[in-house]
Amino acid sequence: MTSAVPSVQMLVITKRFPGVLANDHIDFSANAGEIHALLGENGAGKSTLMNILSGLYHPDQGDIHIHGRRVALRSPRDAISLGIGMVHQHFMLVEPHTVAENVTLGLDEPRFLLNSGQIEQKIAALSEKYGLKVDPEARIWQLSVGEQQRVEIIKMLYRNADILILDEPTAVLTPQEARELFATLKRMAAEGHTIIFITHKLDEVMAISDRITVLRKGRVVSTVFTSATSKQELARMMVGREVFFQVTKSPWRGGQAVLRVEAARALSDKGLPALKGVSFAVHEGEILGVAGVAGNGQRELAEAITGLRPLTSGEVYLCDRRITNQNPRQILDQKVSHIPEDRLGMGLIPNLSLSDNLILKGYFAPPLGRGPFLDQKAIDAHCRELISRFEVMAPGPDSSVKLLSGGNLQRLLLAREISCCPRLMVAVHPTRGLDVGATEAVHKMLLEQREEGAAILLISEDLDELLSLSDRVAVLYEGEIMGIVPAQGAQVEEIGLMMAGTKRARPAEVAA
Amino acid sequence: MKLTLRLERRLTPSRALGFLIPVFSIVLALCFGAVLLAAVGKNPGVVYQKMFSGAFGSRFGLTETVVKAIPLMLSGLGVAVAFRMLLWNIGAEGQLQIGAFAAAGVALAFPQAPAVVIIPAMMLAGFLGGALWASIPAALKAKLQVNEIITSLMLNYVAIYWVEYLVYGPWRNPKGYGFPGTAPFSPAAELPRLGTSRVHLGLLFGLVAALCLYFILRRTKWGYEIRVIGENPTAARYAGISLTRNILMVMALSGGLAGLAGMSEVSGIIHALQRGISPGYGYTAIIVAWLAKLNPWAIVVVSFLFAGLLVGGDQLQISMGLPAAMSNILQGAVLFFILGGEILVRNRISLTWEK
Amino acid sequence: MFRGKVLWTLLAALTLVATLVAACGPTPTPVPPTPTPVAKPTIPPPTATPAPTAPPKMKVAFIYVGPIGDAGWTWAHDQGRLYLEKQLPYVETTYIENVPEGADAERVIRDFAQKGYQVIFTTSFGYMDPTINVAKDFPKVTFMHCSGYKTAANSGTYFGKIEEPRYVSGLIAGKMTKSNILGYVAAYPIPEVIRGINAFTLGVRAVNPKAQVRVVWTNTWYDPAKERTAAEGLLDLGADVIAQHQDTPGPQQAAEARGKYGVGYDADMSKFAPKAVLTSPIWNWGVYYVDAVKRVKEGTWKTEQYWGGWKDGIVDLAPIAAFVPAEVKKLAENKVAEFKTGKATIFTVFSGPLKDQTGKVVVPEGKSMTGDELLNMTWFVEGVVGTIPK
Repeated sequence: MTSAVPSVQMLVITKRFPGVLANDHIDFSANAGEIHALLGENGAGKSTLMNILSGLYHPDQGDIHIHGRRVALRSPRDAISLGIGMVHQHFMLVEPHTVAENVTLGLDEPRFLLNSGQIEQKIAALSEKYGLKVDPEARIWQLSVGEQQRVEIIKMLYRNADILILDEPTAVLTPQEARELFATLKRMAAEGHTIIFITHKLDEVMAISDRITVLRKGRVVSTVFTSATSKQELARMMVGREVFFQVTKSPWRGGQAVLRVEAARALSDKGLPALKGVSFAVHEGEILGVAGVAGNGQRELAEAITGLRPLTSGEVYLCDRRITNQNPRQILDQKVSHIPEDRLGMGLIPNLSLSDNLILKGYFAPPLGRGPFLDQKAIDAHCRELISRFEVMAPGPDSSVKLLSGGNLQRLLLAREISCCPRLMVAVHPTRGLDVGATEAVHKMLLEQREEGAAILLISEDLDELLSLSDRVAVLYEGEIMGIVPAQGAQVEEIGLMMAGTKRARPAEVAA
Repeated sequence: MKLTLRLERRLTPSRALGFLIPVFSIVLALCFGAVLLAAVGKNPGVVYQKMFSGAFGSRFGLTETVVKAIPLMLSGLGVAVAFRMLLWNIGAEGQLQIGAFAAAGVALAFPQAPAVVIIPAMMLAGFLGGALWASIPAALKAKLQVNEIITSLMLNYVAIYWVEYLVYGPWRNPKGYGFPGTAPFSPAAELPRLGTSRVHLGLLFGLVAALCLYFILRRTKWGYEIRVIGENPTAARYAGISLTRNILMVMALSGGLAGLAGMSEVSGIIHALQRGISPGYGYTAIIVAWLAKLNPWAIVVVSFLFAGLLVGGDQLQISMGLPAAMSNILQGAVLFFILGGEILVRNRISLTWEK
Repeated sequence: MFRGKVLWTLLAALTLVATLVAACGPTPTPVPPTPTPVAKPTIPPPTATPAPTAPPKMKVAFIYVGPIGDAGWTWAHDQGRLYLEKQLPYVETTYIENVPEGADAERVIRDFAQKGYQVIFTTSFGYMDPTINVAKDFPKVTFMHCSGYKTAANSGTYFGKIEEPRYVSGLIAGKMTKSNILGYVAAYPIPEVIRGINAFTLGVRAVNPKAQVRVVWTNTWYDPAKERTAAEGLLDLGADVIAQHQDTPGPQQAAEARGKYGVGYDADMSKFAPKAVLTSPIWNWGVYYVDAVKRVKEGTWKTEQYWGGWKDGIVDLAPIAAFVPAEVKKLAENKVAEFKTGKATIFTVFSGPLKDQTGKVVVPEGKSMTGDELLNMTWFVEGVVGTIPK
């Protein structure tokens, strides 16, 4: 499987950002015909390293050899001309244009003079060869996220990329789509391509890669053959300590419905229907998981419940009191907390201090606010208590939030949202982008709230997470609930089908 | 080999540089000016010495600099509080004019009133006048999402022409031989001055306003809301902070402070309403607020320094016989270099040799 | 980040706005602008201030509202300053230009007083109160304020009866019109401008009782484009002579472009529109500056409200165009001679019977208006078509 010369060789790469050593003397090599996983927690330096390989960043130090030849990568264009292509987490496609136009965009070829049929033929050939099904004449906005990803890959192949880098490619896919992607990648590897796969999901790594390089804090921990390692070992290398994957939770004790949503309808930011008559209930001490591929109404659902988005019809009840279309302040006053999807964009204020962030939901009432003033003493005490109780690693309550790591940001957010003793907690992608250690901590906190009797609506794209934390799982597809199943003993296959739009045969109302 | 120059964004703007670069920028601007001055045959050292002593070197210069700093300070504070909340109030000039108009109206309507009554009444009128004027763009923004940059800017012209209309027409001094301008205020309506200088009570307004603003922003719920909205409007909405109410209140405060600047100009300096009560203070205030990074205390300092630059600029003509354009060029250069230097606080330059 | 970007864009826009505002800011005084026939329109460098020459010179300062290169009001005063320097060798002068009429003026005037200047001329109406304020504190310094009405023991005012040459220009215009409609581009509806319109109209009607003078207000002293547009509007109404109370030759150029006539102001505007300009009433400040400074030097100066006429030389009429028929020129020159000898004055111009626009007699036969009435004049005489906004 390995040829004499590695197709990619990166030697003693060092890259420093102000205050951070992102890559510290990293040696990395990948061979033609292999799928090489780059594994590490957030901030371990995976993306930095691959951005260097794709010409986006310049290393402070170190050499790069491609097929045994030393090269200088000044720009992504240089990288592409050497056959290196990267598929980013956020796709770089022009929505109103067709697939064929996007594929040829930015090429030096005079594409308007070229026979467009020829281009489409070539795209069709590529998609045939690697199982990347996509219509060359379709416009990007008409495509699903999975199809868009295929366009990105075809784009790279069209440019004759034989070294393909994928940055967390499965984050946006259904399990079925992920499986198709893996098949494609294997076929490409068999053709002699080099596939580098960035991820922090251990299951994926075990399923698809040939070799794994684990990074931690900007350094290489080890490079191992997949066949010679285990999930446990990889996790230990990644985190630097033993990790337990099993979450233990007590069975649901039963209780009243805290949140009832009835036939809720709402529009997206673009004014299109995003929720099309959603009904469900969440009970005391229960976690209701909401599964679904991103963009199927999850955000709108969370915002409709918390008062950030008006319902066009339908009702929302909190403990049998109607809270439909109340304003966010009224709703949060009734002990509803909200961990938004976009932590820095909505949940926190990056440029303000920890304490300013911690009082966001409580500054207006005693003990933090008194009359028109803020009670600085009470605020200080409150913040110190939360920082230590939730183990937020920060220099102090006055330091700026933007300096915190992803895990600490989420601890801070949870500290605030839990400190109000919520009856209902709406948590949207609470562990997205978090490393294994931080994910574990968040899971623990959510389960503690469940134990305390809070109702939790957990929206996530991570099926493993949903299945291990939730009592029941609802699947959202294009603004409708395809079905609600008990998490215990749920079939991933079945959920996957619902995520792709197949309604469950009998409308489930389980354990209610 | 080729040398490439790149601007790289600093993750955290440097604090030390935040102080050093403006200083360095001023030095650079002065060097630039020195070349120009040398080119027209003047000794730059002498010119700068004259400028400095003109603005800060004598009791007269110093007090005049303070006089000029007062309206900059008040309207600068007003601009800053709006900018804090991402409300681009470009209308300080108009709000100042309306404040002056309202205060003058009170002074002219009650020529017999004693100082203890008329001065607070004029302050109130000036503040309310500016506040109401600023409420027009605020309401349009809050209710109809109309861009406040355009509306506040356009209202400046309305305000200026309104004052012109009054002083040429209905409010013209009947004993003024038909010349534009109202009758002078009664002595009671004049702000007390410091000794024989022209420094008036408006200075205290400015300092108290800075103190209040600092206190509001740091220690009150309202100030907290302003800071949150300014840093992250989405988070503010998420926390249930009312944008509409804050837009209205902050713009009113902003306009009110500019209005107070107008009141202190007519009551402290001019003692009547006339054309040209402000040579663009409301616009200069925006520059002052920005240079001071919207910090209330820094605005006090920057408005004083900026006033010094303006006052000192006179000496180019008076003592050096240089044309007025020269002092405009120097002022422009200082601004240009300081604002240009800001890029370095936020970014760093990396020079690399490449094959 | 977002905030940064917006602020930067904003600042760029603002700097632009500020520059524009600064450029349009200080409009000249509510007083007419001027050229003197004294010198060519070259702008010599200003004189340096402290010179260690043997006998200490008399230091005289001038405060200008516009730039000396404005070709109008400030330029005319600066010509007067240069004339003063040339005529009186013991005088040295300094000026400061572009001084706004608000709070800044007092500082600048005071600064000159402190620096030992003995005579200070403040040449814009808006400097009146600042001049009086500073004068109070510097009793040994002599102040002279152009166009105002407030005086103190050491502070006088000065101005000129430009209506006299305006009347004569009216005589010429009244003879030259064929349509019997004359246009007048006027700055602001204040007594000074109204007086000018009336004087011109009285001149026109003295030779052509059927003619009417149509007035358009621009509400600006200095705005070439606006003035030109206003003139074009009048031409469209059938006016074939365009007179003006503005600081630019825009109206004259508009008249020339249509092959019509015009009457300039401030300076001899014939060089800007040689085929149109019949003549121009002009200012000659230098005469007064020399006289006043001389009196200060000799110790005979006393506070005064100087209001000089043609006889005193402070106002004049630019040469009448060559294309004006000889008999019209003769008629005008006879009248000029009367003014120069003092036989005719502003008071003979404004003497009864004077009717207002409605035809009502306001000044009866045998009476003439007083100086005070003239300075407060807010009504149009018969023959003027237009309104005075209240």
